[in-house]
This record gives sequence, structure tokens and C-alpha cells, in this order.
Amino acid sequence: MAEAEAAGDAGLAPAAAQDGAELAAVIGATVPTGFEQTAAEEVREKLGSASRISKDRGKIYFEVPARSLPQVHRLRSVDNLFVVVQEFKDYQFKENKEDALKDLEELVKTLPWTDPLKVWELNNSLKKKKTKRKKHNLQSPASRGKLSDAGEEGGADQNNTNDQEDCAQNAVAVEPTGGQDKENPQGVTSRNGVEEEEDNEQSEVKAEVQASSESGSKADEGQTGEGEAKVLRFRVTCNRAGDKHSFTSNEAARDFGGAVQEHFQWKADMTHFDVEVLLNIHSNEVVVGIALTEESLHRRNITHFGPTTLRSTLAYGMLRLCDPQPTDIIVDPMCGTGAIPIEGAAEWPCCYHIAGDNNPQAVKRAANNISSLLRKNESKDSTALGVPLDVIQWDICRLPLRTGSVDVVVTDMPFGKRIGSKKKNWDLYPACLMEMGRICTPGTGRAVLLTQDKKCFAKALSRVGHIWRRAQTVWVNVGGLHAAVYLLRRTSEPAQDTRPFW
Amino acid sequence: MKLLTHNLLSSHVPGLRPGGGFPLRIELGRPSELPPEPSPGYEADEEFLRRLHHVLLEVEVLEGSLQCPDSGRRFPISRGVPNLLLSEDEA
Repeated sequence: MAEAEAAGDAGLAPAAAQDGAELAAVIGATVPTGFEQTAAEEVREKLGSASRISKDRGKIYFEVPARSLPQVHRLRSVDNLFVVVQEFKDYQFKENKEDALKDLEELVKTLPWTDPLKVWELNNSLKKKKTKRKKHNLQSPASRGKLSDAGEEGGADQNNTNDQEDCAQNAVAVEPTGGQDKENPQGVTSRNGVEEEEDNEQSEVKAEVQASSESGSKADEGQTGEGEAKVLRFRVTCNRAGDKHSFTSNEAARDFGGAVQEHFQWKADMTHFDVEVLLNIHSNEVVVGIALTEESLHRRNITHFGPTTLRSTLAYGMLRLCDPQPTDIIVDPMCGTGAIPIEGAAEWPCCYHIAGDNNPQAVKRAANNISSLLRKNESKDSTALGVPLDVIQWDICRLPLRTGSVDVVVTDMPFGKRIGSKKKNWDLYPACLMEMGRICTPGTGRAVLLTQDKKCFAKALSRVGHIWRRAQTVWVNVGGLHAAVYLLRRTSEPAQDTRPFW
Repeated sequence: MKLLTHNLLSSHVPGLRPGGGFPLRIELGRPSELPPEPSPGYEADEEFLRRLHHVLLEVEVLEGSLQCPDSGRRFPISRGVPNLLLSEDEA
């Protein structure tokens, strides 16, 4: 309720937002395949809800009150979110293509759209608040210039983008009138998609300002059209899997989309859409949903990319697998851009995280990503001084760390495809496992290692059986490659100090 | 580099006696603000613990070097990042 009230204060259409907050929403979340269980645990821990893991890999479903949406967005194991309109556990598709597609079309008007749409609206009001915070960090004049560029690049519907540009400029004019900082032409990120989202919000915000008649006379100029109910733009995205369907995902999307347009009188727009309707078909399981996220959450902590930067959601899943305890020392000895230690420091601040790599570029990028994180923390919470995270340049085969001083080793091992080579892995993997075994605390230490070179890894592991025991394996998909995440436990055997280390 | 990290580091120059690589000497010309040994009952001393936390986790060495106690080999710290790579001939 508090949420809805806050939304009401901000001048948003109060009725819809309030209704939305009270609803029980069924949320679907896409997560890295293999980490569905981990995501379900995070949902239970942070939202108190139980999750269902669908047969359609990489998705979990859970129910929460719509007012919990902000917490849902803060889940770290989730890539994308949608609100479920309806689920069909055992949908019978007709064999004939035309009949099957006709059925899908007929389905549209029978679906319970009202409540999910309210949740979608509530979600939009949250997004506005988020971009407001982004705006504070960026400057207007530069952003205005960039917005116009976006308008030209946008491409699909020239008229549309022109309208948006007009809207933006009008908003600028409105700025000086009191109490309307929500209409600041916002800061721009580099992604076109996000800019468009902000343009949409611009026109929506103005529509609401109209309605609540708080604005000065300037707001009315050239915007009478905006005051009325805006026609929503939508698109349908269909994912289809299974071999007994007589139609393709494109055909389903097209026909379902046609029916949606009929039903709502919305405007179909593939690139500048307000509502993204999802039609997920996995054999006989059909789920209709409305997307709640646009940019995938998975790159959230990384500002400086490298050639093989790991998704934050995958990094989170790996870290959870090692069950970090407060005061644990967690090391990533081949950190690359630092995705794993950065996720670690953000989510497990009671542990100490050390990132290391031999490559000077990687070290530089990791250090830059940490600075970005520090700056982000500064704007949110001024009392946060420093982050429990450090970066070192070192050689994985000769780690300058004291024996048995580390609790957890978690890393993304070179795959031999994009970095390194299969031949190098043959020598590297055993040396790595030995060194990681040496620095890890006997008995309680553990390692979580991601690799695509499963054969090489298995062989290397067989040679260090006296130090490492395989506890669990998670099969994952990384950038289209089939990889595995191995959870290893350090045996009680003390490390042999063949080298003069302390 | 934070002081807590330094606590975990050890020189890995080949040929040292066991334990000869620890602790690395931090060279930066700023005296420590803490006593050399914690006084008994330090766990209850909130003031001391605050200063300890500050010095371990909130103070960073940006420029300087780490010196191996036995071999004297220096490892540079630049922009907060220590470089502990050995050269080809050393390793």
C-alpha cells in the first residue's frame, strides 16, 4: 500500500497503481539454465515464496503480492521477469496448422488480462522511479543532444520518433516550473532500447501531469493529445520448443499478435513498444505473460567489458553454490573483468573478496569496475566507505598467497576457445588445481569452478584426488557453449609444501 | 591494496627458506597509527576495534612496493594494485 501511496503522491494515475499493489502476482523469471534451484532458494530467502521450476529450462515461477515488485527486481539470480497472464499445463494443439493457430487467436479474448496489466502498470511506475535516480548522475544538455540522435537511429517509425523528440523538448520547457523534476530530460545510457523506454515514460508522465493538473500553463502547450488515454504499442514475442507443433514461433507470434491487436485496439510496433506480450510454448506447456524487464539484468555490475565477461546472474549462482559464510576469504585467481568478486562483494559484504589475474588489461578493467561500484555505492549510501574487495596482478600457477589462508576459490576457468587454447589447458588445469588446493583451508575449503573443457578438467581432477573431492556438478549454458560448474570440497589433507612458502 | 590483503600475501621468489616470504614489508613512508601488539582484552575495546577495522579495510596503499623479507626482491604497487608476477628467469 505504501508503494501505491507514494506513486499517488508522484502524480501517477492513482487508481490503477493502488489496485495493482494489492494483487497477488504470479511472476515468471528467466535464470541461467542449471541454476533454477539456486534462484528458487534466493526467492524463498528474500521474498518468502516457494517457486515452481518449469520443465522449460531456465525458468522459475513464484507468487508474490504486487507491492513486492521492487524486491523482485533486486533478485540477483534472475535475468528477466514477466507477469503470468495464464499458464496451461497441458495444452492440446490441433494437428492442422490453421486450426492450431486459430485456437491461439481465439485464446486471446478468454485470457484474464486485467490483473496482470495492473501489475504491469505498477511495474512501470517503479521503472520511472529508477530512471529518476539515474538522471541525477547525468547532465541535461548532453542528454538532449543524445536523445535526438536516438530519434534518428530509432528507425522503425519515423513519425513516432519525431513525436518523441517533440515530447522531450516540450518537457524541457516545462522543467523550470516548480516541483516537476520527474520531467527532466533524462540522462541517457548508451543503449537505444533504454532511451526509448525513457521517451515513453516522458509522454506518460506528461499525460499524468495533465490529468492531475499540477503543472503550469507551459505543460498544456502542444500536448492536448497526450492528455487522453494513450494508445499502447505492443509486440508479441514467441518462444517455441518441442517437435509436435505444426507451426513456427513466427507464425504463432503473428497470429496471436493479430488477435491481441483486435482485442485491445493497441498498435503493433516491433521496436518501440510499451507492452511486450510473451507467448512461451514448450511442448504442451503454454505460458502467456507480459514482460516486466527490458534490459536484461545480467550485466548490472559491469561497466567495463572484456572479451568473455561473465553474466552477473551466473556469477551470483556460482557464489551461492559455495555457501559463503561471514568472514570467509573468497578468491578468484583468474578474475578477468572481475564479474565474480564484484558480485560477491555486493551481495556478501561480510566476506572478503580478492580478485587476481595475470593479464594487465584484465586487472585494469577489474579495478575500473570496482571504482564504478564504489561510485554507485557513494550516491546511494554515503556512509559506505570502501568495499571488501581487492585486486592483485599474479600468476595462477604461482599464487603469492599463504598456504591454507583462503576459504573459497571461485572462478571461470579458461575455456580454450575464446581465451587460451585446449593444449594450454592440458598443462594449466592440473597446475591450477594444485595451487588452489594449497591456498585453500584443509577440511572446510571449497572451490566452484566453471569450465567448458570438461574432459581436461576431469583428467586434472583425477590427479589431485588427495586434495579435492567432487561434491556437485551443474550443467550450464554460457554464450551458447555447454559448460559445467563443479563444486569441489577440500579434503583434510594438508598441502605439501614442496615450495618454500609460508 | 588493503592491509587485510597484505596479511594473506607471501613472497614466492624461488629458493627461500620456509616462511621466508612472509610478511612482505610495505614501503611507503607513513608510520602506523596502531600499537605494535594488541593490548589484552582488545576484543571489548570498541575504540581500538574501530581503528583496526579502519586500517585493515578502509585504508588503501595506492603507490609503493612490497619487499620480500628474505630475498629483498621488490614488488611494485601501482594505482592500488600490487604486481606480484615473477619474471621469466626468476620463476
